[in-house]
Amino acid sequence: MSLAVVTEHLSRWYGNVLGLSDVSLEIGPGITGLLGPNGAGKSTLLKLITGQIRPSLGRVTINGQPVTGRPELFFNIGYCPEQDAFFEGMTGFQFLYWMLRLHHFLAERAGLEAEKALRLVDLYDDRNRPIKSYSRGMRQRLKIAQAIAHDPEIMVLDEPLNGLDPLGKRKIIRLIRDYGREGRLVIVSSHVLPEIEALTRKIILIHQGKVFAQGDIHEIRDLIDRHPHVVSIRTPASRVLAAALIQQPFVVKAYFGDDEESLLVETKNRDQFFRFLLEMAAVKGIKLEEITSPDDNLQAVFDYLVGKG
Amino acid sequence: MIREHGYTHWEGRLVERRFSWWPITRLSLKLIFKKKYFRPTYALAFLPAFFFVVGLYISERMEDFRFMVRGARPEFLAVNPNFFKNYLAGDFLLFLLIGLMTFCAGLVADDLRHNALPLYFSRPLQKKDYLVGKAAVIAFLVLTLTAVPGLIFIIIKMLFAGSFAFLKAYPWLPLSILVYSFFLTAFFCLYTILLSTLSRNSRYVAVMIFAIYIFSDLLFGFLYAWFKNPYLSLFSIKINLQQVAAFVFRQKPLQPVSWFWSFLILVSFMVLASQLVVRKIKAVEVIR
Repeated sequence: MSLAVVTEHLSRWYGNVLGLSDVSLEIGPGITGLLGPNGAGKSTLLKLITGQIRPSLGRVTINGQPVTGRPELFFNIGYCPEQDAFFEGMTGFQFLYWMLRLHHFLAERAGLEAEKALRLVDLYDDRNRPIKSYSRGMRQRLKIAQAIAHDPEIMVLDEPLNGLDPLGKRKIIRLIRDYGREGRLVIVSSHVLPEIEALTRKIILIHQGKVFAQGDIHEIRDLIDRHPHVVSIRTPASRVLAAALIQQPFVVKAYFGDDEESLLVETKNRDQFFRFLLEMAAVKGIKLEEITSPDDNLQAVFDYLVGKG
Repeated sequence: MIREHGYTHWEGRLVERRFSWWPITRLSLKLIFKKKYFRPTYALAFLPAFFFVVGLYISERMEDFRFMVRGARPEFLAVNPNFFKNYLAGDFLLFLLIGLMTFCAGLVADDLRHNALPLYFSRPLQKKDYLVGKAAVIAFLVLTLTAVPGLIFIIIKMLFAGSFAFLKAYPWLPLSILVYSFFLTAFFCLYTILLSTLSRNSRYVAVMIFAIYIFSDLLFGFLYAWFKNPYLSLFSIKINLQQVAAFVFRQKPLQPVSWFWSFLILVSFMVLASQLVVRKIKAVEVIR
């Protein structure tokens, strides 16, 4: 039987607060990215999918079976919650061992599988250290390890790349992509677009508790790229740079910030803009002290897409 | 690129276990045994049992110890069902309570503090498995301090006496010990777990475990001094337990109130506590 997570008219209220509204999805094997700004309802959707909370309306089925009241489904589901969830006094190995014991693994097998999972997330050398001494990135990797240790076919990972260093991020992205290639069903949530882009082409955009768009990431990316982005540049040659930039077709507006050295540029095409900026730095020797994107967060993009921006 | 999504990779070999709650119990016990003061405190909780064994010995060797027990009331050292009732429902309960507040207060509170509930419930476990797993820890501690010493007292009594006469005189006593111990266990399981779900801080829970028990007794004392109504004893957890114990051990109740009222109050509390506990465990959600 092919793997499938299906939600039908799923809604969830927290008192008067709407967490999720009328979400109907059909998620198949491979990696599906769940993208949305903070507070969009991603975690609520993932908690509903994993049966952590019950829907106010609608239902969730996994492989055709309703998720609530069926603990046996969890033999085959791995869930990585967003917030830290550990027994701090335990070592990484002990934690995974007991999590596997809860999955009905016998003692010897649980030990072997725990070691295997620790190797997969590069924590094997630190397996005997107490969790309380782990760094943020290590804790995140351990959280991922507990979701994959029992070798599930369905993985629900809530912001799995949060707090990871670039190297750790790369490693985990590769691991998740391998799982996707093997035909497992992996749902990954994030509020960072490049993270999701690195993982999959299949994405679901979620905003204010509703599914806003669903499909291929490139189509969504095109939509997003039509939104003018503001980039803030700090340079001693702000006037020279402004004069050069304003002549470019991809620049909508350029204006100075609070001081002489900061320049704010609004662009329609970020890729072309950054290419040009690097060229200016390399060829004309313009010193760039700082580059930031004040609105380079998903909330601004979503506001733009829903017509608020 | 063509991806075969129908393929599923599965190498896991799982063994179905009948008691899903057992790893939770083992894990919790392991964590409790690792606590710094567990062993000395647990040993201290057996102190009343030790004194009762000494009492059993003295009662069998009355001639040798006459110089020690001169002036004591004859029933003081009489080994009869009341002796067992006194052990299981007397002030010994305070030792039990200290054990519970020290080691069991964090059973659920620590899971709440560590946000561990999603870890449990994203595994093949139901809420009842979680609660039974936690309750089994309390049951272990309570039964090893009640039923086990109670039954051992009977064996020791027969060994000291060198005959089965005691058991012949009270053949129902082992059953009474078991029934009352299990009742006590059920009560303290629900009492402790309920309080443990009320806070993420196990210290607050520990204080509540002790304070509510003591306060209920003080409240009775205070109200009784004022109104002189024995029915006010129904406010006291300790007296309610003693009233039930008096019935189970076929003894005269301490208060002139039917044991059934005490039983009803304790059972009602247990039913209410179980409902609240299930609700509290369900209600663990993070609003985002």
